[in-house]
Amino acid sequence: MASEEAKEYVLPPEVLEETVKASEELWKPVRKIKFRIYKYNPRKDYAPHWEEHELEVSRGMTVLDALLIIKGETDHSLGIRYSCRMGLCGSCAMMINGKQMLACQTRVLEAAGSGDVVELRPLDNFPVERDLAADFTSFFEKHRAVKPWIIRNDEVELNNPTGPYKQTVDEYARYYQFTDCIKCGACLSACPTAATDYEYLGPQALAQAYRYIVDTRDDGLDVRIPIVDTEHGCWRCHFAASCSDVCPRGVDPAQGIQLLKKLLIKRKFGLKPHKPAEALPAKVKAEKEG
Amino acid sequence: MEAESEFKEYYAKNMRGISGWFNRAYTIERWLYAAHRITGILIVLFVLAHFYSTGWHPGLWWDALLGIIVTFHTANGIRLILAELGFAVGKPLLIKKPSQRPVSIEGVQRYVVVFALVLFVVLAAIWAYYALIVQPMMG
Repeated sequence: MASEEAKEYVLPPEVLEETVKASEELWKPVRKIKFRIYKYNPRKDYAPHWEEHELEVSRGMTVLDALLIIKGETDHSLGIRYSCRMGLCGSCAMMINGKQMLACQTRVLEAAGSGDVVELRPLDNFPVERDLAADFTSFFEKHRAVKPWIIRNDEVELNNPTGPYKQTVDEYARYYQFTDCIKCGACLSACPTAATDYEYLGPQALAQAYRYIVDTRDDGLDVRIPIVDTEHGCWRCHFAASCSDVCPRGVDPAQGIQLLKKLLIKRKFGLKPHKPAEALPAKVKAEKEG
Repeated sequence: MEAESEFKEYYAKNMRGISGWFNRAYTIERWLYAAHRITGILIVLFVLAHFYSTGWHPGLWWDALLGIIVTFHTANGIRLILAELGFAVGKPLLIKKPSQRPVSIEGVQRYVVVFALVLFVVLAAIWAYYALIVQPMMG
């Protein structure tokens, strides 16, 4: 009985054949590509050097696939960081032919274009951990510095919530775009200001600060202002917009920073005082009842 | 020994420095960013000389070059004021396309870039006309 039921879900042979054929076509080697890979271990090596590997690549092969083949077959010592392989964890960001990209989302042939060389380096403006892996310690410190969580002043409501916080679609749309950040570090690496100012908070942290400030549930504007309204904060950004250009998730941090500046200027001139936490559940409930 | 550790630190830190401003992989805004900073520095240098003697100016072709520097900084400055005050960068998106390009670059801001470049060319041409034709005629 079970086998009869299972039979119903088996693909028709012609569809199966077509799928296998398409898959074979996708993974069939089409071109020989030369990979120039940056090799450097700061604890051991005096200076970095480049290593070259040649690989037959297929249409569907991503840079991460190619790196794993190289690591498995030719260079076992290659240092790379990766995890999900589908553009969600942000671990495998690196310089692919001079631009910040996720290795798992970039196809080799797309990166090579008409040429036959793919050059791989660790992210610019990040200390090198080893080979293609960068050290994210300061990046996460900057992210933590802007207090990326909901800050509330009403402890009673926080400990004994009277109901869910209500938000309209417009209020949600103000910050939704910035919640997609996967902290891959591509934006900070692309930022020309971060290339010269080590203390600059960077596009990622500033966009996240804006994300929490405009959230109606948040009440932490006064806590975050001394952090972002500084010499190394949002005023250091001069809109080169490279952060938004390289973001693999379409977060658009440059927009977040400019809107943060707009919010701070408006607040300084008292044009539109920031009104946080209007959607307090108890207040909404009382209004309904009253 | 110290030089060696500095050498090692340079590679370990991997900071691009000023060379990081110039990269052809990015959009036009990156070039405008670098050009704006360089013209800004050059204007400060000229202003120092100008403070020393207000009557001093570099002369014929150098005057035209000074015009290019100043008018570029002016036109791009207008673009930057509009963008940095949040007027030209659009609104955050609620729905994104699979390969969404940033609104702050390819939205209204692109038109502002074109406007700034056209303004630059017009202002620079007027400045050059005065510096190269009118000024020598007036002696």
